[in-house]
Amino acid sequence: MNVVQFILDDKIQTINFDNPEYTPTTTVLKYLRSLRQHKGVKEGCGEGDCGACTVVIAELAEDKLYYRAVDSCLIFLPMLHGKQLITVENLAGASGELHPVQKAMVDAYASQCGYCTPGFVMSLFALYKSRVEATKEIILDAITGNLCRCTGYQPIIVAAAKAMKARKNDIFDKKEAQTIALLQQIERSKTIGIITSVQQYFKPFTLSDTLKLRSAHPKAEIISGNTDTGLRVTKRHELLPAIIDISDVNDLKFIKITPEFMSVGSGVSMEILKENSKEIFPALYDILRLFGSKQIRSIATLGGNLGSASPIGDSLPVLIACKASVVVENKNGTRRIDLTDFIRSYRTTDLKADEIIYSVEIPIPDPDTIIRSYKISKRRDLDISTCSAGFRLELNKKSHIVKNIILAYGGMAATTKCALTAEKFLKGKVWNKTNADKASDIVFNEFTPLSDARSGEEFRRLAARNLLLKFYEETASQQ
Amino acid sequence: MKKQQANNKSKHKEVLFHESAEKHVTGKAVYVNDMNVSSQTLFGKVVYSSMPHAAIIKCDISKAKQLKGVHAVLTCEDIPGENQMGPVFHDEPCLASDRVTCIGQAIVLIAADNEEIAREAEKLISITYKPLEAILDIETAMAHDSKLSPTRKIERGKTERSFRKAAHIITGELRSGAQEHWYLETQSALCVPGEDNELTVFASSQNPAETQAIVAEVLGVSRNNVVCEVKRMGGAFGGKETQGNHVAAWAALLANACKRPVLIHLFRDDDQKITGKRHPFLSHYKIGFDDDGYISAYSVDLNADAGHAADLSMAILERAMLHAENAYFIPNVLITATAWRTNHFSNTAFRGFGGPQGMAVIEHAIDRIARYLKKDAAAIRYINFYKFPYYIATPYGQRLDDIQLQTITDKIITTSDYIKRKKAIDVFNHNSSFIKRGLAFTPVKFGISFTTAFLNQAGALVNIYHDGTVLVNHGGTEMGQGLNTKMLQIAAAELGISAKNITVNATNTSKVPNTSATAASSGTDLNGMALKNAVDKLKERLTPLAAELLQEKFGNAKAGTKQISFKGNTVFDKRFQQNTIPFSELIAQAYLNQISLSATGFYKTPDIFFDRATGIGKPFHYFAYGTSVSEVEIDTLTGAHKIIRVDILHDVGRSLNEKIDLGQICGGFVQGVGWLTTEEIKWDAKGNLLTYSPDTYKIPTAQDIPEIFNINLLRNSYNYNTIRGSKAVGEPPLMLAFSVWMAIRYAVSAMADHRFDPDVDIPATNETILLAIEKLKLLQKKVQ
Repeated sequence: MNVVQFILDDKIQTINFDNPEYTPTTTVLKYLRSLRQHKGVKEGCGEGDCGACTVVIAELAEDKLYYRAVDSCLIFLPMLHGKQLITVENLAGASGELHPVQKAMVDAYASQCGYCTPGFVMSLFALYKSRVEATKEIILDAITGNLCRCTGYQPIIVAAAKAMKARKNDIFDKKEAQTIALLQQIERSKTIGIITSVQQYFKPFTLSDTLKLRSAHPKAEIISGNTDTGLRVTKRHELLPAIIDISDVNDLKFIKITPEFMSVGSGVSMEILKENSKEIFPALYDILRLFGSKQIRSIATLGGNLGSASPIGDSLPVLIACKASVVVENKNGTRRIDLTDFIRSYRTTDLKADEIIYSVEIPIPDPDTIIRSYKISKRRDLDISTCSAGFRLELNKKSHIVKNIILAYGGMAATTKCALTAEKFLKGKVWNKTNADKASDIVFNEFTPLSDARSGEEFRRLAARNLLLKFYEETASQQ
Repeated sequence: MKKQQANNKSKHKEVLFHESAEKHVTGKAVYVNDMNVSSQTLFGKVVYSSMPHAAIIKCDISKAKQLKGVHAVLTCEDIPGENQMGPVFHDEPCLASDRVTCIGQAIVLIAADNEEIAREAEKLISITYKPLEAILDIETAMAHDSKLSPTRKIERGKTERSFRKAAHIITGELRSGAQEHWYLETQSALCVPGEDNELTVFASSQNPAETQAIVAEVLGVSRNNVVCEVKRMGGAFGGKETQGNHVAAWAALLANACKRPVLIHLFRDDDQKITGKRHPFLSHYKIGFDDDGYISAYSVDLNADAGHAADLSMAILERAMLHAENAYFIPNVLITATAWRTNHFSNTAFRGFGGPQGMAVIEHAIDRIARYLKKDAAAIRYINFYKFPYYIATPYGQRLDDIQLQTITDKIITTSDYIKRKKAIDVFNHNSSFIKRGLAFTPVKFGISFTTAFLNQAGALVNIYHDGTVLVNHGGTEMGQGLNTKMLQIAAAELGISAKNITVNATNTSKVPNTSATAASSGTDLNGMALKNAVDKLKERLTPLAAELLQEKFGNAKAGTKQISFKGNTVFDKRFQQNTIPFSELIAQAYLNQISLSATGFYKTPDIFFDRATGIGKPFHYFAYGTSVSEVEIDTLTGAHKIIRVDILHDVGRSLNEKIDLGQICGGFVQGVGWLTTEEIKWDAKGNLLTYSPDTYKIPTAQDIPEIFNINLLRNSYNYNTIRGSKAVGEPPLMLAFSVWMAIRYAVSAMADHRFDPDVDIPATNETILLAIEKLKLLQKKVQ
């Protein structure tokens, strides 16, 4: 059955891929733009950097609907299976009365040219439905993934604050039971296999099915959030011949915390990981706060960030500093690999053809260990790092001698890389200004980074050097 | 959407939201790419040059033509009319013939059933180039004497002599970078062929009349065959003043060849790669001043990277020259300026239109004077302002008759608590080694009018239908700035009826012909006056009838024309205000009395002229003024900055719509911050644009705006001789962002106790800031 089903416009929509109008890698944006009544969804960039195409996906979990804003340009149609797709056209009531977030936007003169507006409305709608207390920080975070070139954002922030303050039940609450009933009609346990003349797209729902598929299709692309692989379709127009979509494998979406470690399933979204790391791994939280945008974090997964093995993967340096290890699995069982060994070279991992990333285990450091993360980018938010770092420091409390230190850097080489010479220099030495200065000079010469669109190589070296100084300043003042 | 304001003193005052706001928030607002004119619409694609400068040896399109689903593959040989699309000079081919002069220059056009087929067809096209030497920066252009046009000059006084007399002289250089418009809606056009030579162009263009003209020209038909319509643009900022013509011309050629509708909607990366940007400038200056900081002489040489074609570069250069002194009276001035031809895309209009690039240099110079004299920069700025009664003449001879600089500066220095905060910041910087703060004040004086005088004209067409509803057409275009909302308000106020009964139509060249671009912040000034002119004509026709009807109905002595008033959806005799006739009834009667209910309006800005040969004239109808105070914080280890607080006071005359004006100020300011901080255009050594998508080109996000952001309009201001006392507001606020740049410079310079000038040009990226700090550290070491 080459079919997926989801709810749109209060009805179950069935997409049959035997009909060549859509392929399994047709993006939700393309699909919506092909419908006469959903032209409110706009394409601004086709890479998840502007949010003009933001839609909201509602999902059923424990008898409740959860709403999240996502960039529809990054999502393939089958990823909607069993969910509700909500666009800007669905927000107003039947007789045209505006949704509170729409009304607030009008009242605050928060639209000028209007092209980005549907995306903002949807991001705010997701925030409205989340019911979390809308502080200024929360509001800003909710709209960081939406670019506006006209308003200077202030009126939008005002509108958001006003709408969130007066939250009440909306038409989606009224229709909730009806929506849930519809969603429950959609079968969501048997692997969906979409086979067309040029593509194979598999969507398993269990880990065991995933492993079987992986072993049968070792060359297939594994996708979950699709925030990286998706660009090969939207920007490079590649035809992806085989895909295993694990975005709905709940077995991979666990977070387990023991006194020794936190174990994170590879399918856990960066947003959920961020929320869960706030207390235990503040350094991880700090870096995840700056990871993409809310739309991106809601779908991007930890497994994806590691699996793509990008030299600028934001989570890597701090996870290396945390001494994290990766648990990979195939049909025969699991094996554990140190993260540093897992990343082999530029965009290459130790993952074998029949394996998937199962989880990441992050040991909980003892209270005296200091771990920090840093990210330097041209723009603070929604930008790829020019240089990033994850540092770990274990000191002898009395002598202030460095027992152990990890200085992991991103953006400085073809992979995330530790400043080994500087680490070696510091080990066994007193953690003081003189030694930190000397070590930072070593760091300056330790890498031969690239000059590219983000910065020149000199800036990268200076930044890498200074991050160590910054780390020293922050830790020295702490002692 | 209109809301009756409660408890307003004037019963007739309506508050208008953005006229399209409800459509924006519900997704119902239609843009070119959303239009559904026909199921037959073809997808248009542009194949462009991958070489900055090369001879085209061969261009083989034969295979592409044979692909199923392809309806047309066109090269320059297939252009029925003239192969050109330059707006002022005819130096920009529509499709390259034997030579390409920039990466992104269009060579071949494809029309296909859909995007995928068009992309397949593109792969089948083979273009063979022979690379030629390319000029990829201003310095190389200078070395090759690659001038677009001879160097221009504006001079007043005796600059050389006063430099000799000056107590102090500083010389310097400033680079300002290009800026990508990043309108959310990329360039689009939909062309629909009709009978014979007829063609309708649905464009995203700030200049429908020029789009019409260029389409007619490439098709080789007269302009009365082509209709261009613009409903709204998804942002423009100058980027659709001429660049919108290009996609329209390409789509028109394809539609004409296929005799089917063709849509071109550029993908973001293509849009960024092929369209022009704000001109990068390289400027050199020399400034003479006394011990107090009074400037006696200023010479500046402005150099713009025009790109491969003229486009609007000469007008942009002119505005840079006319703003080289910003708000300061300088007795002796020498301004020279050259636009250089390079092998980049043709740079174009961008909010401010050269003004920001010209003003940045004098602000840079004054910042350095303050550091040199160890004085507060705001004080140096203040003492050099234009001032009544003697210091009112600009270098080009225009006398200022309204100077708001002192008023708004006094106010903002107080409301922003500038003096106290500046002291606090110095203390903070003294005690903080890695975090530094900066505070700066900058003023804006911006001339309003097209400097090409004849462009200052506009038309309108007002139709009243006999149910009493009104349809307004005007020559301006809506790009989000709220022009149509303001036009609605003007029509409502002038006709004395509710805006509910008025509709503003899409801009259409068959309704209002021969219009100028909606640019130079002049949209409301020009079109508002033209609209008023049309309404005045209609009222003049209706007044005698109204007097008659009032006399008939109420039996009073017949009113004279001056006694008839239109207000509150009624018409009445001012002497007997309680005796009213509904406007709709008057209109119904007017129709029966065979009175024409349709009128055109026209306006030209009076008394403006500019002589380019002598550099003298009155190029501007008036000036807009604004001031801002910004506080920033920088991390001297990472180069990161954040904007802590911004205060703005801006003069918009008597605002037509305060919320819309505040929106323009806020948006313009943030766009200026982008140009001055994170927006960096970079090329590789071969001339390829590196920053061609939002992945690497970073405009501000919601997180980048000031933590505290106070924007106020100057109260009790009235601008004479403009529509309802208002002032233009589109461009001037962009330059208020200079205070952020200056505050960053202050924070960086605090690293070395303000003893050296920080090397922070435009944009002040984290890289620029960090490298400047490293330089200061070295200088500091040398001195010690």
